Amino acid sequence: MKRRLFLASSLASLGLAGCSSVKDALTQGPLRSVLGSAQGVDLTVIGTRGLAREYNESAITSDFPLDSLDTPTDTTYAGLQRANWAPYRLVVDGLVARPQRLSLAELRALGTLTQITRHDCVEGWSAIGKWTGVRLSSVLALAQPAQHARFVVFHCFDRDQLGNTYYESLNLHQAAHPQTILATDLNGKPLAPDHGAPVRLKIATQLGYKSAKWVQRIELAANLPGSGGYWEDQGYAWYAGI
Amino acid sequence: MPAQKVYRHTVGARFAHWLWALAILVLVMSGLQIFNAAPYLDASDKNDVSHRVLWFRAQLVDGKPQGTTTVFGHPFVTTNVLGYTDDGAGGKASRAFPGWVTLPGEQDLADGRLWHFFFGWMLVVAMAVYLVSAFARGSLRELILRPSDLPKLWPMQLYYFRLRKEPPPHGTYNPLQKAAYTLVLFGLFPLVVLTGIALSPGADAALPWLTPLFGGRQFARLWHFVFMGILVAYTFGHLLLVVTTGAWNNVRSMITGWYVLGRHDGVGP
Repeated sequence: MKRRLFLASSLASLGLAGCSSVKDALTQGPLRSVLGSAQGVDLTVIGTRGLAREYNESAITSDFPLDSLDTPTDTTYAGLQRANWAPYRLVVDGLVARPQRLSLAELRALGTLTQITRHDCVEGWSAIGKWTGVRLSSVLALAQPAQHARFVVFHCFDRDQLGNTYYESLNLHQAAHPQTILATDLNGKPLAPDHGAPVRLKIATQLGYKSAKWVQRIELAANLPGSGGYWEDQGYAWYAGI
Repeated sequence: MPAQKVYRHTVGARFAHWLWALAILVLVMSGLQIFNAAPYLDASDKNDVSHRVLWFRAQLVDGKPQGTTTVFGHPFVTTNVLGYTDDGAGGKASRAFPGWVTLPGEQDLADGRLWHFFFGWMLVVAMAVYLVSAFARGSLRELILRPSDLPKLWPMQLYYFRLRKEPPPHGTYNPLQKAAYTLVLFGLFPLVVLTGIALSPGADAALPWLTPLFGGRQFARLWHFVFMGILVAYTFGHLLLVVTTGAWNNVRSMITGWYVLGRHDGVGP
């Protein structure tokens, strides 16, 4: 009787555990690349078309959420912050004819624009902010990407607890979108450190994880490093328009 | 006298049916996984706690975690069922929906999205296969609810309630079946797909009319969840009718196409 009870309970727990491990095995197995193929369809069907919605001042979310890796605390970043970003240089290099090292003033001198757009988080929430910055296309035009450059890679100051540095990437089409900007201000004030000071990417047509905070260097590349970004390396889709 | 058989479901309809079944199961489970990442719904175009209609949370009460479900501002204790539940790895965690009902089981937004977006397209494929095959065969005509069916809806309902001896005269599908299939095919499926697409920032830019149609991104998220709930309720009703109107005959006809006529004619799922 005891033996039967033992058998029954082990079978039951095996069943429960099995259900979970079956689901995991299905996700991690060869099926994964089949499931991932939908991303190509999304990119083709939706892609980067049209303009993201722009809102009125009254729609702005007063307390814009912070949802990212921790604000950098390393000596380089802390030093720049103490000096009020005066020594900061946005590096643009890689496959470009004219590598750049732009101060904040030089960056803003390329012409700023302000847009009130919605920030859609992959988790499901959204918030509306007023972003002021420079079109990424203006910066790229200055650096003159080479013929064989296909991607724009953003290297950032922030890193996770394991020491992995945040990075993101766009293709040249997404980078050229008029609402893809390097933002320096949020809601009329220079970006606070928590919001990605001094410069963050803001792409209005994709989910929040593409809008990398704390951008240090922009690299033009022929191929994507890793899976194309910090979250992409952890299984998130590179195309985050959906 | 040998049982009389009719060829009721074409290969296209049967393929679409089982693809739908699989897609709905995966979409609901992976959808709940995605929902768990932001376990609340706001009746507003952006997040706004004052317009929150549903909220699952784990709260500490006397040092112990308690699952709380707040519906229109009214809190309910739902420990172990909702809010504080099975984490899919043998323990408990602050999670809206428990691990046994999500795909994958453990908290994994990236993989939930992977499943959801593949099977979202499968739902669209099933719809296309069904419509093309039904249109080619002309069977949509038998299925779609017409104004002339409306007066027969209530008598049919009375028959289901056993308050009427005979169903009202009808074709292959009875008026209630026609109403259910028409609403699901041309109402619920398109709405659940469109509210899903409306959540996407890329689609909001590419199809700027879509997201405002549902009241903004957060409202669309609420509707997407509501339509999912109706679809799940419909599926349970459908399964109940499958079982009570000759389970084997029903399931077999959806596999082989052949339906054996008998006492359940025209009252099936």
